Amino acid sequence: MIPKRHIRPKKTSSEKSQLSSNEERLLIERVKAGDQKAFEAIFSLYVSRVYRQALKLVGNEADANDVVQEVFLLVYRKANSFLGKSEFSTWLYRLTANAALTKLRQIKREKVVSLDEYMPKFRKDGHHLVRPVADWTQDIENLVSIMESRQIIQQAIDQLSPIDKAVVVMSDLEELSNPEISKTLGISVQAVKARLHRARLFLRGRLTSHFGYSPT
Amino acid sequence: MVNRAQVRRAKPKKVDTCKQATTLILTYLMGELDSKTTRSFEEHLMICPDCVAFLNTYKKTIQFTKSLQYDEIPNEMKKRVKEFLRNKIKLDPDNR
Repeated sequence: MIPKRHIRPKKTSSEKSQLSSNEERLLIERVKAGDQKAFEAIFSLYVSRVYRQALKLVGNEADANDVVQEVFLLVYRKANSFLGKSEFSTWLYRLTANAALTKLRQIKREKVVSLDEYMPKFRKDGHHLVRPVADWTQDIENLVSIMESRQIIQQAIDQLSPIDKAVVVMSDLEELSNPEISKTLGISVQAVKARLHRARLFLRGRLTSHFGYSPT
Repeated sequence: MVNRAQVRRAKPKKVDTCKQATTLILTYLMGELDSKTTRSFEEHLMICPDCVAFLNTYKKTIQFTKSLQYDEIPNEMKKRVKEFLRNKIKLDPDNR
């Protein structure tokens, strides 16, 4: 029998004192029965993880705060809908992803950036339009450029559509597999790959432009 | 049992142009290209410094994305949210 795969986001040092799955199951059962102490224990155990996941998606502290509140209210109110078919952490991950995506859709992006502007362009014969293609990886020598590059990447990620942003965050920051992302977001694996590639081309284009070269 | 016809295999592709190579980067990096297409992709890289530069910058972009750091939840926020939840649950009409 093929074992089920579960989403296991990376743990931080503050989460090392995890419960065994049996202890966790018992705790969830108590939450289902309305035990507030058990709910607070679940909150303490998972709040850091939920916050970090929310922050990566929504991009700011205030909205991440709203997502955390929303998610834990859902945990309390919908605990009975958790049937234990997946791990609790997987269920919680999906609740958080959905709440963060809803929040992201409500946030008005400052300006809509055309992804096409930063996509590679090709000549009719299929070769790069602008040659030579600059290899700016050699330009990054000092910490300042590294910090600057991270800032550019973060700004560019924030300019992606909610779903594209979620794909990048889940793939490159949360290190989920494409089938896991597909299941979490309700899109096909093929769509995950297509969106991830296009988003990465955009991020690459933004960085290339930042280093003073043609993004195409 | 899975029918053979149901197993969809991607046809090996010949990589003659930069456009074709660029389309395959993601699958190449995930190690999901078949061996013939991988060989053709790498042969293209051997004769195309532009695609080598493109691949290097694509990989560096992923590296930068992976290196982004996010703050932990502030203790103050943790307390505030906990308090908010306590109050909300007390007033919750579904309170069990």
